[in-house]
Amino acid sequence: MKLVRVALAGEGGQGVQSVAEIMAEAAYHEGKEAIYIPNFGLEQRGGVSIAFIQISDRRIGAPKFSKADIVVALSRRAMTRTHTYSGPETIFVYDSSFQLKDGDLPSQCKRALDIPAIEKSKELHTRVFNIIIMGAILSLTDMVAVEAARMALVKRLGYKFEKNPELKELNFKAIEVGAELVQKQSEGGEKVCAATK
Amino acid sequence: MEKPVTGSKKVFMTGNESVAWAALAAEADVMFGYPITPQNEIMHYWARLGPKYGRKFLQTEDEISAGFTVCGAVIAGKKAFTATSGPGNTLMQEPFSMAEGMKLPTVTVIQQRGGPSSGTVIYSQQEVTLTTYGGNGEGHRLVYSTASNQELYDYTIKAFNVAWKYKFPTFVLGDGYQAKMREPLEIYDPAERGIELIEPTPLVGVPGQIGVDREPQHLCNIYSLEEELYEAVMHLQSEYDRISPEIVEYEISFVEDADILVVSHGVVSRSVDDAVEALRAQGIKVGSFRPITLRPFPTQALLDVLGSGVKKMLLVESSYGQLFRLVRQEIYGETVPIETLFKPGVGIIDTDIIEMIANMI
Repeated sequence: MKLVRVALAGEGGQGVQSVAEIMAEAAYHEGKEAIYIPNFGLEQRGGVSIAFIQISDRRIGAPKFSKADIVVALSRRAMTRTHTYSGPETIFVYDSSFQLKDGDLPSQCKRALDIPAIEKSKELHTRVFNIIIMGAILSLTDMVAVEAARMALVKRLGYKFEKNPELKELNFKAIEVGAELVQKQSEGGEKVCAATK
Repeated sequence: MEKPVTGSKKVFMTGNESVAWAALAAEADVMFGYPITPQNEIMHYWARLGPKYGRKFLQTEDEISAGFTVCGAVIAGKKAFTATSGPGNTLMQEPFSMAEGMKLPTVTVIQQRGGPSSGTVIYSQQEVTLTTYGGNGEGHRLVYSTASNQELYDYTIKAFNVAWKYKFPTFVLGDGYQAKMREPLEIYDPAERGIELIEPTPLVGVPGQIGVDREPQHLCNIYSLEEELYEAVMHLQSEYDRISPEIVEYEISFVEDADILVVSHGVVSRSVDDAVEALRAQGIKVGSFRPITLRPFPTQALLDVLGSGVKKMLLVESSYGQLFRLVRQEIYGETVPIETLFKPGVGIIDTDIIEMIANMI
């Protein structure tokens, strides 16, 4: 596989960094090269939290990048904060519930994709919001197999799953739901950034 | 007591964590430190892991104190280390100067952040001058600039051995990116790789009667006479010159027929590798030179490469010329034109370098 770069951004508490770590770890356990680095500026105390993930078959160079293959923005201000990582080849993902104003979408992207992840997580369980997002990201690339992501989840949350087996099913379900949301939105045709501005 | 690392195993961890494991594997006895981003987790992991293996940790009241306690502990014959960044590195220059003057085998891990002053807590390569030549001395230090979490592990182990073998303050120069990123590496028991760990010995209170069995241990950082100081510094310099050829390390790639030579160090060299590979695929004759030791500098190796027909050099760094000045002083007299890509305090990626070189040809 070729190098895949993902920038995942959201508010503190949305689970951005933990889901990035799970995906990177899953790729590592698949024998791939993986780098995950959080932004850790002062803004992490009350600002937008960004995770940078890169996965490849080959050794990866710089730990950060200028343009991502996928940008995921989990809050409105995370959208503007991540414009810089969106280029002509980027899939820019955000939540359907955001009331967009002019300038919220980046000027460049290959595709702007909104998914109703926040709404769906209220049906399923708000605790698995970030796992729904992970499911969506996985369905958009071949960077990590779903099975590897499941294993990484078990590795990380195994002690919780043992106490509460339903939690495991809930998390696995969330991965599927994320993929379904992407699938469903794609059926409605693809948006591009310039057209949606 | 069981070894913290047995055999060797693949892991996926941050650079800070790998430094803590390396210090354990190198049989470091004690860490003194004061918190500062982005090196905090070195302390955190050491403080959590160390006591399980009988190691000590003390958080001092500031970085000056952390540096001096390390000096004290090595004088007492303990493998001691600290880790810091940015303004903490500035404060530690006073103890580091003493370590230079007294030839103390201190080990320090620097995870560079943005400067000047508190700058950013994130990343830079702006502590090159400070780490190589900071303090009121002649820069009698050994400085390794790493490029990956694997190298942080390898060179932290090496730093303890080199420090105790040659008795010069030794530094592992990383940066905030390496500190905070997770990537795969292999941690190992040094014995598995045939690395023999050097046993520390006290520098004071050594056995034998002075004047009969041994010379006095003269650990001095102040002199009454100018001439005494002159002798001491000249002695340090000659020792430093003597050992330098054994210590210098560097990496070269595609230099044999290179028209353009890219010089970089640390994490930036990874982007240079990618850029060189991409440009070579286009048939552009580019090579790279990466000093691993910034002090002593691999001067002869660089001169040899330049002498093989390099037409232009490109200096790339995440600071405004700190590596450039180091290189220029070492190759004084060379007339190869040098172009520069300076991005103080921010990362450099392969496309930055590729664009730059496109403008040079």
